[in-house]
Amino acid sequence: MNATFPFGFPGPTAFYLTAYVATLVIHLLFMNYVMAGCGYLVVAGIRADGLARTERDVSIAAVLRDWMPFAVSAAITAGVAPLLFIQILYRHPFYTANLLLFHRWMAILPALIAGFYLLYVFRSERVLGWSPLPRVLVILGAFACFGFTGWSWSENHLLGLRSGAWAELYGSSAMTFRDPELLPRIAVWLLGSIPTLSVLVAWQLHHLQSHGKAAVKAGEPRRLALFAMAGLALTIAAGGWYYGQGGSPLRTALTGQLAGPYAAAAFTGMILQGAAWAWQWRGAELTAKPLAMASTGVVLTLCGAAVVREARRLQSLDASEFFEEHRQAFAVGGLWVFLAFFLVNAGLICFCVWIVKRETRRAPAS
Amino acid sequence: MQPPYYPVNDFGPLMKGMVVGGVGIFHVFVAQFAIGGGLLMCYFQWLAMSGRSTEARRFLESYFKFLVLLSFVIGALTGVGMWFTTIQISPRTIGLMVHEFHWLWATEWTFFCLEVVAGYTFYRYQNRLSDPARLTLLVLYSLAAWFSLFWINGILSWQLTPGGWTESGSVWAGFFNPTFWPSLLFRTVTSVTIASLVACVVINTINTLDRAQQSALIHRAAHFLGPMAAMPLLGLWYLAAMPADSRTWALGGSVAMTLFMGMAVGASTLIGGYALIGLLRQKLYINGATATLLCALAFVATAGGEFVREGVRKPFTIRQTLYSNSITREEVAHLREVGCVTHDPYPLQHAAAYPQEQLRLGAKVFRFQCSVCHTLDGANGLTHLAGTWTVQQKRLNIAKLQHTKPFMPPFAGTAKELEALVQLITWHSAGRPQPWPVSEDPQVLAQIARWIEEAGTEPGGHGARYDLVAETR
Repeated sequence: MNATFPFGFPGPTAFYLTAYVATLVIHLLFMNYVMAGCGYLVVAGIRADGLARTERDVSIAAVLRDWMPFAVSAAITAGVAPLLFIQILYRHPFYTANLLLFHRWMAILPALIAGFYLLYVFRSERVLGWSPLPRVLVILGAFACFGFTGWSWSENHLLGLRSGAWAELYGSSAMTFRDPELLPRIAVWLLGSIPTLSVLVAWQLHHLQSHGKAAVKAGEPRRLALFAMAGLALTIAAGGWYYGQGGSPLRTALTGQLAGPYAAAAFTGMILQGAAWAWQWRGAELTAKPLAMASTGVVLTLCGAAVVREARRLQSLDASEFFEEHRQAFAVGGLWVFLAFFLVNAGLICFCVWIVKRETRRAPAS
Repeated sequence: MQPPYYPVNDFGPLMKGMVVGGVGIFHVFVAQFAIGGGLLMCYFQWLAMSGRSTEARRFLESYFKFLVLLSFVIGALTGVGMWFTTIQISPRTIGLMVHEFHWLWATEWTFFCLEVVAGYTFYRYQNRLSDPARLTLLVLYSLAAWFSLFWINGILSWQLTPGGWTESGSVWAGFFNPTFWPSLLFRTVTSVTIASLVACVVINTINTLDRAQQSALIHRAAHFLGPMAAMPLLGLWYLAAMPADSRTWALGGSVAMTLFMGMAVGASTLIGGYALIGLLRQKLYINGATATLLCALAFVATAGGEFVREGVRKPFTIRQTLYSNSITREEVAHLREVGCVTHDPYPLQHAAAYPQEQLRLGAKVFRFQCSVCHTLDGANGLTHLAGTWTVQQKRLNIAKLQHTKPFMPPFAGTAKELEALVQLITWHSAGRPQPWPVSEDPQVLAQIARWIEEAGTEPGGHGARYDLVAETR
């Protein structure tokens, strides 16, 4: 692996790796919105004010509460594509890790269903009249469900890399896998979701404000900037912890030829975000320029982090074992049909959004 | 030629097929409701905007909320759950399916995305949209939902009837296989039926409607039960398109499958009879309890149909390619030479529970070859099926397994492994006494080896004429 990702691999492997990383980044966008958004709402849930949009203004919490069920739906739907490609790329280790974690792994399904419904409950008007405790318990429950799913994914991912531990773990009938990388890895992903959420929700607020649909509640832009900068600082700290625990595969992934440039891109993205949020913090209103700069930073960071994550995996697995499988998979038909329908359906999705934009402009919300 | 080894999980007294079947049936029911529901809403939107029904708009709001809460959450997650469950039961099967059809699955994913966007935009903004815009979104939602059925139907029906794929390896020959069209049309009719029955339940829950308004809506929704009249023909077409041996299992060859088939046909007939005579001809009113009961019957029919669809593939999970225990036809001969668990890296869980090594070997053979469909003494337990056989009967019947029961795959292991399995079943049937003697008579092993050889490596079933009685003599 003396070339930069995805070069240096045979064509089919490079193709599937790229498809996997690209679709994973889309999934991460929504996943981060859900994770950090639930965390934010736990705090906001303690105080009912700000959870609902008023006639005068709108807050971060109100936007999150309103959009959270859609974000979960989008995260799940976007997650299907990387889940498909991972089965092509690393079938044996991925399936083995699934099997070894058994009931523990399968428990993510009821957890996701419960979390999803709790968000619908939290979105209902009735919740606003509740006392703080049940209200916080609802959103805390959702946060716990999604957190459990993230923890299980991390465990599954790391177990897939440790083929030497499989037989012993199976023989012990244990359904949990302890690994030194586990906690710092979860910390990086969890805290790293904050800056992504901040950018996404900032654009939502900016859109409402700039189209005259609602005024953003006073102080919210600064609060969001602080939230994002705190998230960035905590992610860097968690990254340092992960670097210390990750051992040589992680260090090689960060500094080697394969993903070193991507690690640099991820870090540059964080600096860009930090600068953008510092710029935004000085203004009382959300403005497009710092948000565009922060968005560029988020894209750089997410793409860089996704490739580093993959490089870390490739350091532990003998990728050449899978080359033949990838070649055979690439030879089966259907790619052109996929590309054609991808374009058609992307067009239809844009058409749906266009219809709604056109119609709601004519008939503003009552 | 060596198969990949995966850790095999023990589901206790539950047969693994029951687990995947349970999740699968639930998912299919919800997903088909979403597909039919989309089409039904297009119809009601058209009724509303053309002035044919003044109540249709109120129904749409309630129905779509119900659809979103059920299908967008449980439907989507049980869909992902089907992948995870299938990995738990048969990683090799899902691996091959993904390998062959990943671009078609990716295509289906693009329709999921459209479905979510069209559905949510309608859900959020329906009250602010003009009628043509509402109809456009609903049509796009329905189209996306139906196309997701189109793609997954080709992949699932390929498992039973791979068609030209077996020879050419062409993904399209496999996708447009002999059962593709009957299955797609049958499922489409099922979808609109479920949607219509759920609509009858939902209409009864809208308390702002009076009885006459509810009745009017119910009779509009009942129009979607009309296509049920085509179900018998579509079912016969599907039966005719499936392989002869599979058809035999459903029509008497396997008691369980015949019973499930009867369950599906019986429940569908009851719904169809009520719908065509009661709702469409006599225009009876249907209350919430009756509508719920009919939905439950539809669930029973779906469960029966899905069980038959899964069951008639036996002894294969992908016909002519992969046996139900995830061994390929080519691997059978190889495993008979080297042993099926010789290279299995996974130790036995609770190994100390077995008094001697031969039983431990038997337990590993059971785990590798049998546990996907059988338990030892739970559902479909080997001690119930073979516990009363004599030891010699067990040896013969397992050695010639595909001829003993044509829906079983051939035994794929050495004579020593087969004897270890026989001893395990006998030991279990005897109440697991400690100690248990080791059976290693060379003459017995030689006889088993001869029987295995005589059985051949090909599947049983029609055409494999084999006179077991004569061979026993």
